[in-house]
Parts: sequence; C-alpha cells; structure tokens
Amino acid sequence: VIPASCNYERPATIGDAFAALADPDAKVLAGGQSLVPMMKLRLARPSTLVDVCGIVGAHVEQIGGALHVGAGVTYDELLRSGAVVPTALAEAARSVGDLQIRNAGTIGGALAHADPACDIAAPMLSLDATLRLQSPSGERLVAIDEFFTGPYTTVLDAQELVMEAILPAPGDHAAGSAYVSFEDLASGYPIVGVAVCVEAQDGRVARCGAAVTGVGPSPTRVPALEAALLGQRDAELPAAIDGVELLAGEHADYHRHLLRVAANRAFACAADRAQGRAT
Amino acid sequence: VTRTDEATAIAADSVLGKRRARADAWSKVTGGAEYVADRALAALLHARPVVSPFAHARITRVDRSAALQIPGVRHVLVYEDLPIRGGAGRAAEPLASGEVVFMGQPVALVLAETEAAAEDGAELVEVDYDLLDPAVDPQASVLPGAPLARVELLSESADGEMHGSIGKARTETAEEELSANVYERRIFTSGQPEEALAACSHVFKRRFTVPWIHQGYLEPQVAMASPDRDGGVSIYTSTQGTFYTRSVIAGVFDIPPGKVRVEAGTLGGAFGGKIALIEPLVVAAALAAKRPVRVAWTRSEDFAAGNPAPSFDVELTLGLTADGRFGALDAVMVVDTGAFTDNGTASLAAARMPGPYRFQATRVKLRGVRTNRPGAGAYRAPGGPQCAFALESLIDEAAQALGLDPVELRRMNVLATDEIAASGSRTAGHGMDAVLDTVASHPLWQRRDELPADQGIGLAIGMHPGQTMGAAASCRMDPDGGMTIVHGYVDMTGTDATMQVIAAEAMGVAPDLVRVEARDTRTAPPAGLSGGSMVTYCLGSAVKAAALSAREQLLDMAAGELEIAAGDLEVVDGAVRPVGSPAQAIAITSLVAKASGLGNGCLPIEGHGAGHPPELAPSAAAALAHVAVDRETGQVSLIDYVAVQDVGRVLNPALCEGQMRGGAAQAIGMALFEGMEYSDDGELLTGSFLTYAMPRSERLPDMETIIVEVPSEHGAFGARGIGESAIVPGAAAVANAVAAAATRMSDLPMTAGRVWQALRS
Repeated sequence: VIPASCNYERPATIGDAFAALADPDAKVLAGGQSLVPMMKLRLARPSTLVDVCGIVGAHVEQIGGALHVGAGVTYDELLRSGAVVPTALAEAARSVGDLQIRNAGTIGGALAHADPACDIAAPMLSLDATLRLQSPSGERLVAIDEFFTGPYTTVLDAQELVMEAILPAPGDHAAGSAYVSFEDLASGYPIVGVAVCVEAQDGRVARCGAAVTGVGPSPTRVPALEAALLGQRDAELPAAIDGVELLAGEHADYHRHLLRVAANRAFACAADRAQGRAT
Repeated sequence: VTRTDEATAIAADSVLGKRRARADAWSKVTGGAEYVADRALAALLHARPVVSPFAHARITRVDRSAALQIPGVRHVLVYEDLPIRGGAGRAAEPLASGEVVFMGQPVALVLAETEAAAEDGAELVEVDYDLLDPAVDPQASVLPGAPLARVELLSESADGEMHGSIGKARTETAEEELSANVYERRIFTSGQPEEALAACSHVFKRRFTVPWIHQGYLEPQVAMASPDRDGGVSIYTSTQGTFYTRSVIAGVFDIPPGKVRVEAGTLGGAFGGKIALIEPLVVAAALAAKRPVRVAWTRSEDFAAGNPAPSFDVELTLGLTADGRFGALDAVMVVDTGAFTDNGTASLAAARMPGPYRFQATRVKLRGVRTNRPGAGAYRAPGGPQCAFALESLIDEAAQALGLDPVELRRMNVLATDEIAASGSRTAGHGMDAVLDTVASHPLWQRRDELPADQGIGLAIGMHPGQTMGAAASCRMDPDGGMTIVHGYVDMTGTDATMQVIAAEAMGVAPDLVRVEARDTRTAPPAGLSGGSMVTYCLGSAVKAAALSAREQLLDMAAGELEIAAGDLEVVDGAVRPVGSPAQAIAITSLVAKASGLGNGCLPIEGHGAGHPPELAPSAAAALAHVAVDRETGQVSLIDYVAVQDVGRVLNPALCEGQMRGGAAQAIGMALFEGMEYSDDGELLTGSFLTYAMPRSERLPDMETIIVEVPSEHGAFGARGIGESAIVPGAAAVANAVAAAATRMSDLPMTAGRVWQALRS
C-alpha cells in the first residue's frame, strides 16, 4: 500500500497544468478517490500527479435554465449546493461510496476516470448532459453520449481536461427522474444502475432518456428502453431490455433480471415524480 | 435487564450493573491510542513480503540481486535464512519452505530502512515457480486421486492443543479409501445412533454450507521484535496472549522462555485471529538481521495469509420421536482447514454439532481436509455459529412441519443442569430457560403470525460452553487510597474495565480509584490467552480474590488501630470504620501511609488472588430476527433484531451490550454478507474490503439487547463469560426468518442472487 515514488504538482493556472501534462506519464489528480488506491496497489505509477482541483470549475449554477456543474465539484458540494439538481443525479451522487469519498471525489474526476460502474454517468446520460473540455488547442463541447469509449477510456486527449458538465434546461412538460441501483455488497459499486428521466404530457411519456451503468464496458444510453417507454402510461416495461451489452459473468442471468427490475422501478418512480405523485 | 430469582438483590451502594465507559474508549475513538505499528523504535528495519501468486507451486529460484540494489534495502530473507530450531505447524514455517501451499503465502521478506524502500525491493525480487496441481474444492479433495495440497510435509502441529479435550471419539476405520488430504477422520458417537434414528417418527435432513470467513479485525496483523543482548528477544505485538506467544517463540527458536519478553500493544480487534500467527516471522527476521524488525500486513496480505475461520459443509439429519423429543442426530462434516492443521478447528466444529441439546444418540462423522488455502484459525466461538446455523435451521424446519411451538420444542430438548451431554461431560448450570421465557413473551415474537406478506420472524438459540483456566492477579493499595490490579491478560473486549468494577465492588471503593495494569511476560502473573469466554469468568474470580485479600489486610490493620474485630468493620467513603460509625472512620490513605512507614513493623498491603473455576459457566443466548424479502430481487432486509443473553451477573451493562451487539453484527455478516471466495486455481477473489463484504453499520438494523441474569456459581459475583455465545444464534435466526418470509436457505451467505435463485426453483 505504498505507492511508487512520484512528483506532485498543484498548478496555479490551466496553462501550467497543460505544461505539466506534456509529460506522457503524468496523470491528472481530481479528488484521487480512484487513482490513489490504484497507485497504492501500484496498478498506476504516474511520474507526476497534476492536481487540477483548483483550476477546473468549482461552481454549481443555473444559467438560462441549464445546470452547470464544475468538474472540480465534489459529490457532497453538488448535493449541498442549493441548486435544483435533477433527482436522478442527486440520487446517484448520494449512492457513491461513503461520506469521506463524497467529500473528496469530484464530478469531473469520476467522469474522466470512466469506471464502467460510475454512478453519476447514468443520470448524466439520461439527462443529455454535455461536457465542456479544454486543451492547449482550445475548447470543445462533447455530448456525454460520445464521451466514453470503453472501460476507463474516454475521448479526452492527453492534455485535455473536463471543465464542466452542462445539463440542458428541462422542456415545458412536467419532468421527473430517478436513479435505481443494486450495489455490490462489498464495494458499493452498482452491479446494475438505471437512470430514467421522463417528461409527461397528458399522462403519457412525451420524452424520455434512459441509461445504465455497471453492466457493460461503459455506462450507456439504452435507446431500446427509451423507445419502449415513449407513449407509456403505466410502469410496465417489455419483458426484455435489448441493446445493453452485459459483461459476461457467473451471474449474468441474475444481472439481466436485475436490470429489468431496476428499469421498471426507475421508470415508475420517474413517472410518479413527473406527475407530481409523491415518492 | 431481566433479573431472575437466583440473581439476588445487590446492595444499594454496589458499583455493579452501572454503565461505565472503558478507560481506553476516548483514546480509541479520537485516534490517541498507541497501536503496535505506531511505536517508534531506534534502528528499526521495516519489512515487506514477497508473496506467491500461485496456490500450489514449488519454488525453484529466488533472485534477490536487483532488490538488494535498492538504496536502503538491507536483507532479502528466504526460509533457509531463518534460524528455525523447533516448533511445529505454521509457526515453524513463517516463509514458504520450498513448497508454496496457498496463494499469498510469504516466500521472501525484504528488510529495509523504510517501508517504501522495502516495498520497492519486494517488487524486484524474482521468484521462479514450478506449478503444482492445487487442491481447492474440499469435497473433491477428500476423494482418492485428488491433487495433494501438500506434497511434502514438514511437521504437524498438535491438534486442538489450545482448546482442550472435546470428548469421546474413535478414529474412523479405513472402510473407505480417501485422499491423504484428509488428515483427520473421526467419528464421535453417543448412545446407539442407528437404533435411535430407526425409532424416530420424524426425520429431517438437509445439507448446509458456510464458507471461509475472515475475522475482519480493523487492525491487520502487526508485530515488532528486537534481539536482546542476552540472546533473547523482545516482542511488541498485537496479540490475544503474551504468554502463549512466548511459549510458541521459545519453541520455534529454542530460546529459554525467560529470555522471550512479550508485550501486548493496544489490540485493534482480534476475535480469535491474533494468536501467534505473525510473531514467528518477525522474530526470525530480527534474529537473522540482528536488528529490530517490524512486520505489518496490509489488508490484502491479511486476507490472503491470515488464519480465517474454516469452511464448513455438513449433511445433517435430525430425528424426533412422536412426542417431539430429539431422538437422533447424525452429521457428516467436511471441514476445510486449509494448508495447515494447527488450532484444531475441525474437531472443535465437530464438538459443537449437538448444540445445547439432549439426544438419545448422536453420530458426528468428521473429515478434516487439507486444501491450498491459508491455515484456519479461531473465530469467536469456533464452529459454534456454523453448527447452530445447520442445527437450528433443521429444528425450525421440524417445528414448522410438525406444527410445534419453536420455543417449547427447544425448551423440552435443552440439556438440564447436571445432565450428561453427547460429549460425555456434565452440563453446567445455565439460564436457557429464562432466556426462552424472555423470547416467548417478547412482542416481536408474539406478532410473528401477523406480518405482511414477504416478512418473517426467526428464532434461534445458542450456548457456547466456553472454557476455564487458572488465572492470577495482584492488588496493591496505593497512597492515594486507590488500588492497582496487576495481571497478564490482553484486554480484547473491555475486560480491564470489568476488572476495575470487580475490584472496586470487592474492596468497597469507587471504580475510579482502581487502576488496572496488564503487564508483559517479564512482570505479570502467569496468564492464559484472552479467548474462550474466559477472561471475565476466570480472571474476574482471581481479581476479586486479590482485592478481598487486600481488603482483609486493610481491615486487620484498622482492627488493630480501633481495637475492634475486623469482622465488625466496613469500607465506606474511602475509609474503614466500625459498621455504622462514621465518627470512628480511618481513611484508607492513612492506613496505607502507615503500612509503608519506617520502623513501625507494618507490612505493605498487597493482595494476591488466583483461581481456576471448577466448572464451565455457559452463557445461554437467543436471537430474534425480523426480515423482509424482496421476492423480485431476492434481497433480504433486516428490519429488527433482538439479542437475549444470560450474562450471569451484569457487571457493566455497556460492555455486555457491546458484546451482544458485536456478536449480532458478526452473525448477521455471516448470514447475509461474508464469505471468502476462491477460484478453481485457488486464487482468493475476495482479498480486500472492495470484494469482501463486511456487515457495515449502515446495513445493520437497530438492535434490542435484553440481558438476563442467572448467576453462575463460580464467576465473580455470578458473572459468566459472554463473548462467544453472543455470535452463536444470529445467523440461524436470520435464516429462519428468511424461511418464514420466503424460502429456506441452506448456504451462507444468503445473498440476494442466491435467494432469487432459490425462489425461482
């Protein structure tokens, strides 16, 4: 549990951060709740840790209806920000780790780490979040749908940083969202996590987003589930949820079943919230 | 607290039964307590192990050259470098001796000036292995032709040495050919099992399994050792027994016990798992390097190379006569104790199988099997909760099937005082009847048939016999009117706070005036292991006797001063006085001052006490669990939990409740969460808290604890040892609740996936 020796830098400006990240073996530190344990097991051996917590955004603010969450915001800060955070995102943030982890782990760090079982990725996907990225060559906006490329990999370039996540303004209809997960008893990571957000009109689903985490190589949207939910009135889903790549395992049958249960419960809950029924 | 008639009224000024914080509570919760790894030692070498990535292999080459190039690295030790001169079993093999027998077994030890340098060095030690077939599945490893878990045996340790005799047994005759992995095949019988079973009207049968369970102490194994100039060694360690450690080390290194000095640090949890496991390695390294050495396992090293509770597999048959009496018990047990056979954990489990019940006849067929896992160790009531899970499940099944009241079925079959148990030993007095009364009248139990669908309430009982040993203590009167108790037992569960209350009550002073000092092996009175529910029961009697002896000396002295018979004196408010006469009181401080005065012929006041209770004082326990089962996911939620236990006499309710809650938490862990999983190759799949699920606080329900008092005959003020019984019934109670709510489970832990599977089939 003693990491290999490495340098630590806390750059004052984003330019300094980019310079430090020019070293291909340098790694971004943004809370350290995943990276540091991997270093202690010597599964990660960066030459330099570039601590970006003071540089990437620390804001949670509503701008023109959209919610901007700085990449340096911790789970706990998000939950206590006072901003109107979609319920699914708050539920996902609350289900991460324990208090110490929620105090230190950051939204940007979690997304950039791209754990296949990242809790907050599911609501971000279901809510159509956009990520603002910055690199020495400039800034770009990437839909979160296109951000993850596989286990622990993303479209981020070597010197590129996640600056903030932007959740679009809700539409005119009544909206509700929910995140339902079943956790591994030891790690607390979701075995299956489903986020559903719906907009209801005349008692039917007019728009919806649905995403899963924990079951495949990356958190992902589930278009087949979204299609099945559109126009639905009651919380009864089709018998099978297609289009989700399950990591094969001893318990694949059970996980597939849990996926359906979680989707059902998340949808029922989101629909209730959209229609103002208490849950 | 439910006080029975026998638990006679205590004096109004008694200090017994009052809630008191343990002296070390504050320092522990604020981070101030010094644990073994915290102590600074000059010239200390830090150690990091090189461990085997394979479960079974032969070491063909160890190349230390690259590691020795790392600045600060001083030594890279292998088995051949260690000055082992005796001993047996795992203690004599602190590094793999040519043949690796479990994954995570230390193969080499790197010693360096810093732990970081040692870690860097350990990474660079190159070890070549020839792979051998591993023996992993216990049932398969029993069969002839199975891969052998150990090709070459060094030495076998004496079986069950720590836990004493377990009753009549005969070695199984070789009617069946089995693998040499089966190191123990014995049959324990009482009565005429076949005839008794044939005469039964109802027979219930089921196979139960419980996996390997890690004790889960928060502080991983850690010890320091320094070679002494006189050829001896000083050890500072996280242990349950300093004198036991001394005897192991003296044997392994052939050092006179008087030159082995063992001091216990603050214990960061043990539960049976810290009994001379790591000390042979640290002493060997210190002697080889001729410098002080510290070895501190990481969490994952401890998971891989600790000494967890063995796995347990039993085919159990319970026969009842027409009137509900237990006619026959038949058990075929396979206990996998890993690559080493120390600690007697297999035969201990066999001894626990009949529980606290009377049977016309029993037959327990035991097979202890060796596999490529670390050696098994003790874990709170070894074998107790596992056997109770099986037997209490089957009893519950019988009660349901036959329409019998589960409380009364148990009551009519529990062994009465003085009755001879299946083991052949006499049953000591116990309070199970009072415990069952408490359960029967509890509102939760009475509501058990009025629950919503998918909820259930389960009951189970347990009574661990515990053990006895000789114990000694001294009691010194101090100039401030206080007293100092000196003994040699490690405080594992708050027992020093218990000794404080016992001494205070015996003397008649406030507990705050009592200091309790657990000394090291240089200066302490002889002491045994902290374990077997023995410390309060056995040491408590010795402390009481020591305090009473000091009191007698004090009173004799005052009697001389006052010219009144000592029998007419009392100790009140820090003074000795004639009964009811405050005006003539002499302060204890002035008596003590006089006792240490010059030339006045007085003797210092110091009491000694020793004792060895002539019989056991088993603590009867019961658990009620209330669960809800989510039929869609199989998830079991624990809604309520009630622990009932006869503690004999409650000395400090806070400590009793702590034992009951802790035992319940561990039982719930066993029921729902815990289990060490190994791959077919013997690779540990649950080697950290990321993969091994502990019963964490947020997953535990509010618990109710009900203390019952049926005094023991020989414990101080009637106290019993309570640590072990507290864990025994819980897992079975949860299983019985799950059976009432949804389905009967035969395999622990009852994870959601397993319950879902069971509900589907």
